[in-house]
Amino acid sequence: MLEKITKFGKSRYFMFIVPLFALIVGIGCENQHYDERLQMRLQQLDSDLKDRWSTSGVVVLETTPNGPADKAQLERGELISYVIAEYPIRSTGDFNSALKKGLEEDNNLILYLKNKPPLRIALRRRGDKVGLSVEGNGTVRIKQIQPGTPAANADIQVGDIVEKIVDERKIYSLDEYKEILGKLAKQQVTFRTSELIGVKIAAVTALGDLGDARAIESLVDIFRNNTELSLRKASISSLQRLVELSVLNELFQQFQDANVNVLPADSLQAQQLESAAILGLLTVDRTENTATLKAPFGTQFRHRSEALYEKINEGQLAELAQEYIQIKVEPDQEIRRACLAILGILKPVSAIDPLVAVLENPTEIPGIRFQAGVALRQIGQPAVDALIIAFESEDTSTKDIAASALGGIGGIKARDRLIKALENTSEPAIQLTLVDAIAKIGDAPSMQALERQRQQYQNDDDSGIRIFLDEVFKSLTQKSM
Amino acid sequence: MKKIGLVFLLVLFSVGCGTQNENLAKGKELIKSDKRRKEERAVREFKLALQQPMDNAEAHYLLGFYNSQEFYEPNTPDWESASIAERGKQMFLAYQEEKGKYLERLVFETLRDDDLDIQNAALDALKRVYKQADRKRLLSQLQKAIKSSDNRDRHNAHWVLGHLGKDDPNTIVPILVKLLEHGRTETRLNAVKALGEVGSEDAIPALAVIIESGSAKWERDREEPEVRQLAVEALGKIGGAAVPELVKIVENKGSSLRVDAIRALAVLGDEKVVEPLLDALKEQSSRDVTIPLN
Repeated sequence: MLEKITKFGKSRYFMFIVPLFALIVGIGCENQHYDERLQMRLQQLDSDLKDRWSTSGVVVLETTPNGPADKAQLERGELISYVIAEYPIRSTGDFNSALKKGLEEDNNLILYLKNKPPLRIALRRRGDKVGLSVEGNGTVRIKQIQPGTPAANADIQVGDIVEKIVDERKIYSLDEYKEILGKLAKQQVTFRTSELIGVKIAAVTALGDLGDARAIESLVDIFRNNTELSLRKASISSLQRLVELSVLNELFQQFQDANVNVLPADSLQAQQLESAAILGLLTVDRTENTATLKAPFGTQFRHRSEALYEKINEGQLAELAQEYIQIKVEPDQEIRRACLAILGILKPVSAIDPLVAVLENPTEIPGIRFQAGVALRQIGQPAVDALIIAFESEDTSTKDIAASALGGIGGIKARDRLIKALENTSEPAIQLTLVDAIAKIGDAPSMQALERQRQQYQNDDDSGIRIFLDEVFKSLTQKSM
Repeated sequence: MKKIGLVFLLVLFSVGCGTQNENLAKGKELIKSDKRRKEERAVREFKLALQQPMDNAEAHYLLGFYNSQEFYEPNTPDWESASIAERGKQMFLAYQEEKGKYLERLVFETLRDDDLDIQNAALDALKRVYKQADRKRLLSQLQKAIKSSDNRDRHNAHWVLGHLGKDDPNTIVPILVKLLEHGRTETRLNAVKALGEVGSEDAIPALAVIIESGSAKWERDREEPEVRQLAVEALGKIGGAAVPELVKIVENKGSSLRVDAIRALAVLGDEKVVEPLLDALKEQSSRDVTIPLN
């Protein structure tokens, strides 16, 4: 054999070897099939896909340029799960033969009557009658409906015009595909393709975990345009993870600049270290004073961190999140929450107004309004003016959230406004919120203001605010001890 | 009643004076009893038994089995001598005195114990057998175990083979690869797992064959889904050189293991996978495509 192959160039061996080679290739690829008519190569699915992902069909491996499949823009990688045959009805002969072909195998077809929605006709047993007869040429009408048949139970009247019969056939294997297409040789066919949502969700999740800047465009595209909610949810949570990773850039740059995977823990910013540890990127050993990037992900990510940081800070994501925190844009609350979280991390000043709008929106879920307040608190000082305006609102929830956010941000302006409000209100619910917010700021003027309140309510035993103030002072003195 | 007890003691005594190692017998008796701290006391007896010239194999074995660092103050010589490695060594000494008996006992009995320390000591002993003694016989026992009808044996054998393979992949990987053809699904399953634990690149082609068999025309040529899934996991554990093979799975639109491959790749964090993942996202959504007759 070896000798023969070395003499490959000689024509008498060539004639022998080529068919042999073709045979070997043929045997090796029995899970593939080239459709001569449509000019495309198809591949059988792994048989367990049916059980694991309830997916069946055949996959398009390649289409021959300018062949029928290519011209119809069927693409490489598409999963054909149904073959649909359409039979136009122009005579009683058309009707009877379409009925026969359509019911073959699956006892199931779709009847299109003029001015009526498509009717699915299913027989219980093979050989059962549909119960219809027709008449006419060119225009075919229902002539008779037999009682006690599927047709009698459907919305069909004598005189209805039959337009076409459609037969959808689910494909389970390459052999089935060949068989069905063989029967439809002189027929126009439609393929129904399925999207492999499971694979896409896994890919989207993996892209979030990998922390690679190149993923952002695709994730945004899926998030904006895909109709599958589960996939959109996976996309936004991957984007959230990428944002979380990107804010650790400063930390990862220190490793990257030193070109090491271990650094003294006390040389790094504590809060970033903690976040990175929570995300599983590194481990911190305080007794040894080391921060060690975890292999393989942490050690690989340091090379990608800067590109991710730059891409995230182009502003596209902040814009996206601002748009999708609105209930009128995004009906899914999990997605709105993810967008609020993204804004809380990115802290764009441009998000202040949209966030205040969410906070003030009475139709929004209370938890989400509160989360908008948290995002504003994370933005900090630039949000103070807008929060003070929101605090003027009549709505107690808005007042409550705004006051609590102002307390979280602190600063002279926020503090003075809160103190003033406390001194001018006698509404118990608002008083409590304000006391809590002012206590959070906790500087000398704040404490003096709270002390004044305590004295004012000193003799009022039943007052909620007095009890609450006592609690506040008690916990503060405990802290200072 | 008392009399019977007395007679029993006398018999024990005479046996002890005869061929039996007295301390060994005492230790074994303690283990069977429900006395307080019986194991700690038995270990003391086994140590004494070893100072006598007879029945050393069993004393070594039982010392390795029952000794524990919990009995001693940390960092004392006794504590050191109760480490997993020292216990493994005692088990190995037992093996050296009675090879056939203790090899079988280690593989089919000791490894089955619930105590993780005992399992690890047995593993240590078997590693010593592999390095210093009858490697061939050990491997044949382990192959017998991985082909066993008892799941515990199969699991234990895969665990030991995985560990041995880390030190000597050149010998172990071909053995495991050959087991991939075994008739019992669970045996193949454990062989695949062991190949993952060995983590040798040499296993990649054999794992690839299993993975690709999913679309074979005949059912008999298709490997079971759970074995194929584990083969993908094994590729993930091998990492590095297995990345292209995992990428190939992601790119095979007909594969049932794409999700598994994607997950394995995400754990590896290799950036070579970003492009194939982005490609997967570009795949068309569900739609109807009509191909006109001409």
